[in-house]
Amino acid sequence: MKGRWLAVAAALFALALFAGSRMRRLHEPRFPPLGELKAGPFAFQDAGLAAAGFRAPAADLAWIQLLQYAAGSLPEYTDHPGHPYEHLGTLSLRVSRLDPSFHRAVLFSAGMLAWFHGIERPDEAAELLNEGMRRSPDQPMYALYLAALAYKKQGDTDRMIALLESSFDQPETPSTMKAILANLRQSRGEYREALVLWARILDSERDRSEHARARAKISELKSLLAKPAPKKR
Amino acid sequence: MQTISAVFAYTFKEHIRHKAWLSAALFGLVLLGGAIIVSALGADERARLLLDLGLAAIEAISLVSVVFLTVSLILVEIESRAIYLILTHPVRRSDYLLGRFLGTVAAVAVGMAVMAAMHLGLLTLYGWWEPLRYLAALACVLGKTAVMGALSLLLSLALTSEAAAMAFAVFLWMLGHFSSEMRFLADRSGSAFLKTALVAFSHAAPDFAHFNYRDFWHQAAPGAEWLMWAGVYALAYSAACLALSVQLFDQKEF
Repeated sequence: MKGRWLAVAAALFALALFAGSRMRRLHEPRFPPLGELKAGPFAFQDAGLAAAGFRAPAADLAWIQLLQYAAGSLPEYTDHPGHPYEHLGTLSLRVSRLDPSFHRAVLFSAGMLAWFHGIERPDEAAELLNEGMRRSPDQPMYALYLAALAYKKQGDTDRMIALLESSFDQPETPSTMKAILANLRQSRGEYREALVLWARILDSERDRSEHARARAKISELKSLLAKPAPKKR
Repeated sequence: MQTISAVFAYTFKEHIRHKAWLSAALFGLVLLGGAIIVSALGADERARLLLDLGLAAIEAISLVSVVFLTVSLILVEIESRAIYLILTHPVRRSDYLLGRFLGTVAAVAVGMAVMAAMHLGLLTLYGWWEPLRYLAALACVLGKTAVMGALSLLLSLALTSEAAAMAFAVFLWMLGHFSSEMRFLADRSGSAFLKTALVAFSHAAPDFAHFNYRDFWHQAAPGAEWLMWAGVYALAYSAACLALSVQLFDQKEF
């Protein structure tokens, strides 16, 4: 009876192997292989967290660093003069490669690259969206942004804005993109529409990061609307 | 059964009174607090960040606690010779080991429950309320913790050194998250020997990559059947390690 516990262990281990194979058959996590993570200043952080089984938290930290870069306070990535936000694509792909379900990172960067005043690099935005779509084909926002980019290239701004506004209340839409849309309306002189969009941002708990700006913009737009329209001669 | 519950009760009380366990729980609460601060930087993804970082903190603390507690669980009693006193009573070695293990896992589970209750409370404040999914993620963390506890116990009995057992436990934890990569490497490998070795190793190491519910639930959360098999996997793997531990413990002469 010396090997009794060995036999028990073998039987239990066989059961564990069977259960493991059933688990894998029922659900396979869709994470890109670690080899796809690019070398860079944060490679050690990413690889360490992913190896310890913390891929989602690693993507979350990468998202914070992306936001820091967008705010101009990430010393590891500095832009060359005349090339604003040149690392935006790299940093958002980093988030997406750590966790492809972090759609907001790609949408945020694509939105900034395509529509942010002073950047306007739609081709780079399209590349990002295509990569996002390849990793998560079931996410409809990528296709919607690509379609909006196509309208932008054709110069069909009305349809572009209408399409982007159709996704305004989608949970994946970044707050920055909503702010860009409202500013776009304002730049076209459509103050009333811009005011409505800022009010919707202010109403949304999720867009808390834009609330201070929304309040300022609402008062600015109200004063613009209060001014009498210039008389036609 | 009575013996197991008696050993379980004294192990559980011992751990709850243990300062190391309490400091680990306190550290977990500090980490949860840190998650609140870090998540504030996440702009419109605040709830996701709070969720991920909080669950990661709970898992990390549970892992550290269970490894520290189980590697010294039997070795300390052997060193202090307290084990002689216990084994002179009509206590089967398997009952003693099982009671000690279950008491430890229960103590860690209580710590997890306290941290999870606070975490879920915070998430509710930030408008996140999906208790069933949260419980499923927590159950998977507990499953990983139980597997790691059983593995650490086995390693401590096989290596008879706390430091070596801890080092191997951490190594196996990392390896467990590389099971997909090992299978990917095996597919690419041209050498039949390497392929067989990699496949065997990927199966022998605990498959934490497929157990990481809290890491992949943002994609598509698996269903109830998956959770059932995950439970069977954790129980069977832990029980296999415990059976091997009993085999080793039976062979020891006191």
